[in-house]
Amino acid sequence: MDVWVNDRPIEILPGMTVKHALIQAGLLEKVKSGLRVYDEWGNEIGLDGALAQGMKIWVKEAWG
Amino acid sequence: MKKSILFIGGLLIFFLLCPEVLSQTTEIRILHLNDFHGFAEPYRPFGSSELLGGIAYLAAKAKELRKEKPTLLLAAGDMIQGHNWANLSQGESVIELMNAMGFDAMVVGNHEFDFGSEALKKRIAEARFPILGANVEGLQALKPFIVKELSGIKVAIVGLVTSETPISTHPRNVAGFRFLPVEEVSARYIQELKGRADLILFLTHLGHAADRILAEKVEGIDVIVGGHSHTKVAKPVRLGQTLIVQAWEHGKALGVLDLKIQDGKIAGFDGHLEEIRPKAGGEDPTIQAIVEKYRKRAEAVLETPIGEAEVDLDGENVRRRETNLGNLIADIVRAACKAEAAIINGGGIRMSIAKGTIRVKDIHSVLPFDNYIVAIGLTGRQIVEALEHGVSGLEENEGRFPQVSGLSFRYSPSEKKGRRIKEVQIAGQPLDPNREYAVATHDFLAAGGDGYKAFGEAIRSSRDFETIGGLMKGEKILSSDSGRWLRDVVVEYIRGQGRIAPKVEGRIQEVPGDGRMGQ
Repeated sequence: MDVWVNDRPIEILPGMTVKHALIQAGLLEKVKSGLRVYDEWGNEIGLDGALAQGMKIWVKEAWG
Repeated sequence: MKKSILFIGGLLIFFLLCPEVLSQTTEIRILHLNDFHGFAEPYRPFGSSELLGGIAYLAAKAKELRKEKPTLLLAAGDMIQGHNWANLSQGESVIELMNAMGFDAMVVGNHEFDFGSEALKKRIAEARFPILGANVEGLQALKPFIVKELSGIKVAIVGLVTSETPISTHPRNVAGFRFLPVEEVSARYIQELKGRADLILFLTHLGHAADRILAEKVEGIDVIVGGHSHTKVAKPVRLGQTLIVQAWEHGKALGVLDLKIQDGKIAGFDGHLEEIRPKAGGEDPTIQAIVEKYRKRAEAVLETPIGEAEVDLDGENVRRRETNLGNLIADIVRAACKAEAAIINGGGIRMSIAKGTIRVKDIHSVLPFDNYIVAIGLTGRQIVEALEHGVSGLEENEGRFPQVSGLSFRYSPSEKKGRRIKEVQIAGQPLDPNREYAVATHDFLAAGGDGYKAFGEAIRSSRDFETIGGLMKGEKILSSDSGRWLRDVVVEYIRGQGRIAPKVEGRIQEVPGDGRMGQ
């Protein structure tokens, strides 16, 4: 399954979650240090959240 | 006469400006929770120092909000599996607290199937609220929809779960069930419910992106209360005539959606998430008692003896060399999916176990991570790449050092990184670099954890992946059981064996460097 993390294409097994995409992208440690994960509509998402084919997510500073 | 005309004119203007006076407006409230995953007690999420959640605190807030107006309390799936608090009773604990909280309905989530169909049927029977699944065929206990009446407003609630459920649990858990495409099923039930309800609410476990597609493609849905993607939808999203909400995960928030209904339509709405921050005295005592009851039971389960180790099980040296505990776990991983070989990272094994009685808690200490077993088709060349990577962090004592099953290899630590693997055998035969082997591992390594890239390369080459009729197809993806943690598989194995005495067998052998290229 293809997803995008910070505009970078990532391939993960179907059924894998946000956490797996971040491991693949090498960004999980960024979340540990306080950054948050957002979907393309600006909603925060949890690390165990399901991903969908083609989904775009971003790791960035927490809103507000 | 003039006064009367003025009075009547004034009344007309008033009714024109305030039409709700003519047709009655009814206010109702939807409270919602999704992806609870058994997180009964407050916890500090990864990367946060703040304590959040706690179902007893959430229950108290729900009780308070329910007093204000006619309310439905709904759960959008993945409630009963995840945390030990739920897993150690196969979700019975969660159903008990949902009964006590007075839930009105729940949709089945993909992880509700993780304990097998018999356990799920028991949980459905225990629930004093309907569990929905309009697109699940073969499980009679699930209802497709219900109609609830609140202050004269008939609310139809249709349940939908992701049709990808079969790829996220073991095939045996969904044997005999079919997960139908959601759009087709949705259109059918909207047609069926027309004229029977004032409001059509879809309680879904599809993920926020899929909820948006559903709202755009299927007409007639008033509200979608969603789950699956663990999305923190801070304010309701309106797409066309459909409102979409979702309340994050793990009971860290309670979703609140207030609706004004007029002439069978939503005339106004307001919604938000109540974030749950535990404060002393803020808990619901009935729910807290259930939380504590099952916490004590879980502690008792963790103390349960499951077998005897006839030898010390070495978890200390797993980052440096083959160990008997590494062999044991790799063997269990391989056997669980009947693969030809298994490769796991030594760093995933965190403790040793002394000779003597083994308890559940020992295995939880050895394997503290929520990893699950997957099997992927790797070529012989990719296996060598994986092993080269595994022995490339020796100097740094990195957790990537492999523990293996079904294969053996020799390596030379004195050679340059990437040229250390000298010989690999699978089932006693030299590895064929071009042949494809079924290799078991866990999701962390498959996702590229500890820098392993070989599994990802194999996944990338599996372009034929698709789901047909709810079954996973894909030549490189051989098995994926995300609903069962590796540690639970190990507990079950040791319980079945009774006594274990794994040995170091020479699966991984150090040899002097010869200056030649690696295999």
